[in-house]
Amino acid sequence: MTDYEIAIEVDARGAFCPGPMMELIKAIRQAEVGEFIALLSSDEGTRVDVPAWVDKAKHELTALINEDGFDRYIVKKLH
Amino acid sequence: MKNIVIIGGGFSGLATANHLARKINRKKVKITLIEPKEENIYEPEYLFWVFQDKPISNLLKPISKLLSKEVNWIKNIATKIDPEKNIVTIENGKNILYDFLILATGARMAQEKLDAYCQTDNVCEFYTKDGVEHLKEKLMEFDGGTIVITPTTVPYKCPPTPIEFAFLLDKYLRKRGIRHKSTIRFLYPLSRAFTMAEPAKKVEKLFAKRNIKFTPFFNFETIDNENNKVLSLEGEEIGYESLIIIPPHEGQDVIKDSGLGDREGWITTDRYTMKHNEHDNIYAIGDGTNLPVSKSGTVSHFSSNILVKNLISELKGKPPKAKYKGLTICFILTSFKKSMLLHFSYNYPPKKYGLNSTLLFGLFKKAFKFAYFKFLIKGRL
Ligand SMILES: Cc1cc2nc3c(=O)[nH]c(=O)nc-3n(C[C@H](O)[C@H](O)[C@H](O)COP(=O)(O)OP(=O)(O)OC[C@H]3O[C@@H](n4cnc5c(N)ncnc54)[C@H](O)[C@@H]3O)c2cc1C
Repeated sequence: MTDYEIAIEVDARGAFCPGPMMELIKAIRQAEVGEFIALLSSDEGTRVDVPAWVDKAKHELTALINEDGFDRYIVKKLH
Repeated sequence: MKNIVIIGGGFSGLATANHLARKINRKKVKITLIEPKEENIYEPEYLFWVFQDKPISNLLKPISKLLSKEVNWIKNIATKIDPEKNIVTIENGKNILYDFLILATGARMAQEKLDAYCQTDNVCEFYTKDGVEHLKEKLMEFDGGTIVITPTTVPYKCPPTPIEFAFLLDKYLRKRGIRHKSTIRFLYPLSRAFTMAEPAKKVEKLFAKRNIKFTPFFNFETIDNENNKVLSLEGEEIGYESLIIIPPHEGQDVIKDSGLGDREGWITTDRYTMKHNEHDNIYAIGDGTNLPVSKSGTVSHFSSNILVKNLISELKGKPPKAKYKGLTICFILTSFKKSMLLHFSYNYPPKKYGLNSTLLFGLFKKAFKFAYFKFLIKGRL
């Protein structure tokens, strides 16, 4: 069961520039602490980029869901 | 008589207004543009202007010479939009009714934040006319030390621009014979030096070759002016003698105040139709949108053609079927004479082409500024 309510959803499918990671950073800057962001990306590189950045920036990758042709990343803003 | 109102007469608003004016039956449709400024500026050349001894006025053209005479121009600021009543209110309190509204309001350089960051005059930027003049002066005085380059927000206009600035700065300092006593540091939010993985490899290789030091995962938080340090969200601190920032960008107040944008005022826009996500008779174009594409003139150009097609269909009572597929063309300058050319869309990743001939590059650059004022802004290509 999911236990989060998405405050901001960003559809970055097919986005190359600035690209999914930049879209996530933008959303994190807009979000309040404790809110969840959903990032939709069809880019394989995002699978490496998002966990690495979330770890470095000390937020939380709450879930990574594979959907039809894209991934849905659920990220919680922690600070 | 139908009324089309366009807010914002930068590149996107002017090109769209001019394109519509040519395509539309003016007896049946009135086009109004709301824009307070008298002049349009060719922003891509800010980058060169920093390093050139020429007056910035060369980059300006009066809007009166760029806008079709068929368009009714109101020199004023839109303060409020009521999307339920189809009314735009302007600063003098007058209401303007529309059947279709086009939002071309661009990105706002957050002046109040910029003022707070630029408390000391060793913090510079080159995204505004005044910023270019100031940076020019500071660079002439610069005699060695560490220059740090960083964006302050994402998104910002024209993603490769800070990289290009680093490359040009390297050349400039070499030419002045002070490169050996200068350090250039490039700070970037991602794990790589550019948004796209393949071009980023080339950029990083060139950075290494030209001794430009790259710090990944640096998301600007604030500046400690007293101690000449820039701080990141990730908790890093980096010292500088001179700091060159890409100013904080956000959506315009009229978008925020009218509830037409996301939390930072970027207009919530359908990535294919160029329509506002919630209001069927509102379109959006250019840097002010929240589209997942770069804030650049080329995106405005390609998406403006789609917007015009869709709006004309609607005026004819047909459904708006044209789709913007994310087409973007972008140059990354790697020196004053060389650049990489990339193009991509929602459907295909960037393809890379070198454009390394000096002559070709020179011709292209000249032709582009000419094309910008002569054709693109007039909605003619
Ligand atoms: C240094 C630099 C280098 C660049 N290089 C390139 C490049 O190489 N290639 C490229 O394609 N792009 C480049 N760009 C980006 C390009 O210049 C912009 O994407 C383009 O100018 C955006 O046009 P716009 O009309 O959407 O926004 P703007 O030019 O910002 O215009 C918006 C207009 O709306 C008006 N406005 C705002 N609010 C209101 C209101 N409430 N009422 C009435 N009017 C309002 C403003 O006065 C303004 O005139 C560069 C930009 C910079 C800064």
